[in-house]
Amino acid sequence: MDFDDSPDEAAYRSRVRAALEEHADELLRLAPGQESVDARMQEAEMRRTQRVLHEAGLVGVTWPREYGGQGGTLLQQAIVAQELARFRVPALINHIGMGMCGPTVIAHGSADQRDRYLARLLRADDVWCQLFSEPASGSDLAALRTTAVRDGDDWVVNGQKVWTTLAHVSDYGILLTRTDPDRPKHAGLTMFVVDMHAPGVTVRPLRQMGGQSDFNEVFFDDVRIPDAERLGEPGEGWRVALTTLMNERVTIGGAGTAIGAPVEEFARHAGERLPALDPDRQVLARQAVGRAVVAALGARYTGYRRLTVLSQGGIPGPEASAGKLAGTEAAQLMADAGVRLLGDEAVYAATADGDDRWQRTQSWLPGISIAGGTDQVLRNILGERVLGLPPEPRLDKTAPFSGGRR
Amino acid sequence: MNFDLDADQRDIAAGARDFFRGSASPAAARAGLEGGALEPGRKALADIGFLGITVPESAGGSGRPLLDLAVVAEQGGAVLAGPSLVTAARAAVLLADAPDLAAQLAEGGAFAVLDGPVDGSAPSVDAADATLFLGLDGGALVVGEGEVVPGRPLDATRGLASVRLTSRRVLAEDAGELWARARQVGAVVMAAEDLGGADRCVQLGVAYAQEREAFGRRIGSYQAVKHMLVDAWVGVEQLRSLVWWAAWAADCNPAELPLAASAAKGCAAASFERAASTLIQVHGGIGFTWEHDAHLFWRRAKVDRLLLGDEAEHLDAVARLAVAGALGA
Repeated sequence: MDFDDSPDEAAYRSRVRAALEEHADELLRLAPGQESVDARMQEAEMRRTQRVLHEAGLVGVTWPREYGGQGGTLLQQAIVAQELARFRVPALINHIGMGMCGPTVIAHGSADQRDRYLARLLRADDVWCQLFSEPASGSDLAALRTTAVRDGDDWVVNGQKVWTTLAHVSDYGILLTRTDPDRPKHAGLTMFVVDMHAPGVTVRPLRQMGGQSDFNEVFFDDVRIPDAERLGEPGEGWRVALTTLMNERVTIGGAGTAIGAPVEEFARHAGERLPALDPDRQVLARQAVGRAVVAALGARYTGYRRLTVLSQGGIPGPEASAGKLAGTEAAQLMADAGVRLLGDEAVYAATADGDDRWQRTQSWLPGISIAGGTDQVLRNILGERVLGLPPEPRLDKTAPFSGGRR
Repeated sequence: MNFDLDADQRDIAAGARDFFRGSASPAAARAGLEGGALEPGRKALADIGFLGITVPESAGGSGRPLLDLAVVAEQGGAVLAGPSLVTAARAAVLLADAPDLAAQLAEGGAFAVLDGPVDGSAPSVDAADATLFLGLDGGALVVGEGEVVPGRPLDATRGLASVRLTSRRVLAEDAGELWARARQVGAVVMAAEDLGGADRCVQLGVAYAQEREAFGRRIGSYQAVKHMLVDAWVGVEQLRSLVWWAAWAADCNPAELPLAASAAKGCAAASFERAASTLIQVHGGIGFTWEHDAHLFWRRAKVDRLLLGDEAEHLDAVARLAVAGALGA
């Protein structure tokens, strides 16, 4: 047991650090206390940052070389993720494209699609988004209603997608549609690459409870997609989507990086604020601080066990879902204690000197329990695929979608 | 990054699993509540070498890292074995400069470590049938014989009793730091035993939920049952990570041990209690009968959560240490 890098890992990490130092002036970096940047405001800087990192060999680490990647390992990717976080580089503008869309094109696209799209995606010449969820199909993704109807060499798409990260700056998206409503819900789906600049595509931002707009809704009105932009066979869309979703788990579940603020930052905040509380409140506050730190450390060291699996050449299984569940809980405990440590100022959206780190995190975390698999869906995955418990009986797997309850 | 057991440690775990399954059981824990003896008992634990895992080879032990002992302790916890390896681990730290006594410990001598004042101790693990007691007396580490006052056991496998020393010999003056470290090591090993117990609770609960039917289907298919078991399992996995980290810290990074030990013990209290309560709830009516094993795990959880510092004490310690910079930059 050893928390240090192996010699190979250490050498790789120092190369990554050297590359970041060398290009520091060209990279967008987060200010202290800042967790993300708004692609609406800094799209050009975000595209440039990814292009620079790509030229330095730090983008597409696990992708095959023939598509512009580095042909590296999952552990090298995790090291890059850790070092980017340490260097305060915000999430890359094409993180959805690299984590989910690109791997789906690699697995299911034609040779022509792979040639046209993948290298440009890694360089952030094109930004990609993932068009899956709809107003009436969130956790139950296969119930989606956006239709694609064949018309000559094209398909004509109508419907609405929602919760689409980065749609407002995207050039392309992978789009899951229903092409055969007379078949059971999972069997009548087809995946496409859609040009987000095509006529009939309308993107509108969604404002979240915390005031920020990370997501969009996207409307499709008679949008024409050439048949050559299909990913996989007609009716095979669910299988194609599973490729995307498995890659999502690798992207979100791995790496041992924390959700929300690092526990060290939380501890510093506690150290600054505890002495200002009444002595009897301090006792209670230390209980909350201790509970949050234990949860964060439990999530961190469990992440290290998953990282070890990667280091030994394995791939993350469904148990990675536990990482999101435990990481979310730790982040919630830290945000709650972080806000309450503010004393009287905890009832405002920011402190008198304008610091809103903990309030902002507090209002952002309810969304994390829902996005990328709700806490409840994750528990189903863990219960059924890790613990081997029986699934709920389902009435919707065999009946034609058009005849079922919508 | 290699945060996993190595092949040796996995072999040790497999061997310990076989040994404990053959020599201890929840049935013995049940019998203990009506006066039965602890299983496997000191002699069997000494014969297989488990009491001397962390005792130096020069004193007749194996001189192995605490992580090895934690791996063994987990397997003992899964079958509610007694006496506790907490006593062996803690005494081995205290007797580092007393090789004769350490040798006695490894050979199965009936030691217990006393918490609280030596002229009327707090309920202390494995004291009920011990004959030699280690205690902290005004800052000095002492060993002696004593008068043992057991209470009515909630969990007989812990062998809890209060002790008043009737003789004492000073082993070391100014032993406060050594004592604190031994208690932290003991907390790690108790967290490891709790890990084994909690893990076993989840396994038993899952097995029952896979076969028991109600309203025409297996109860594990209901999300209300499934999610309860998943939450208990997630707690077990977090605890496993913290136990490994804390044991590793004791061996390889002592400066981290106070934080890691308190994190592991605080997590153990909550995780084991949740797993044991879940085990009862999933079983329904049969789960709260005397015949079923569930209450034996529940008893262990209810007692362990208060020993060697309760959850509140350890959460407070974690908070103080974290604020003081124990997490690093």
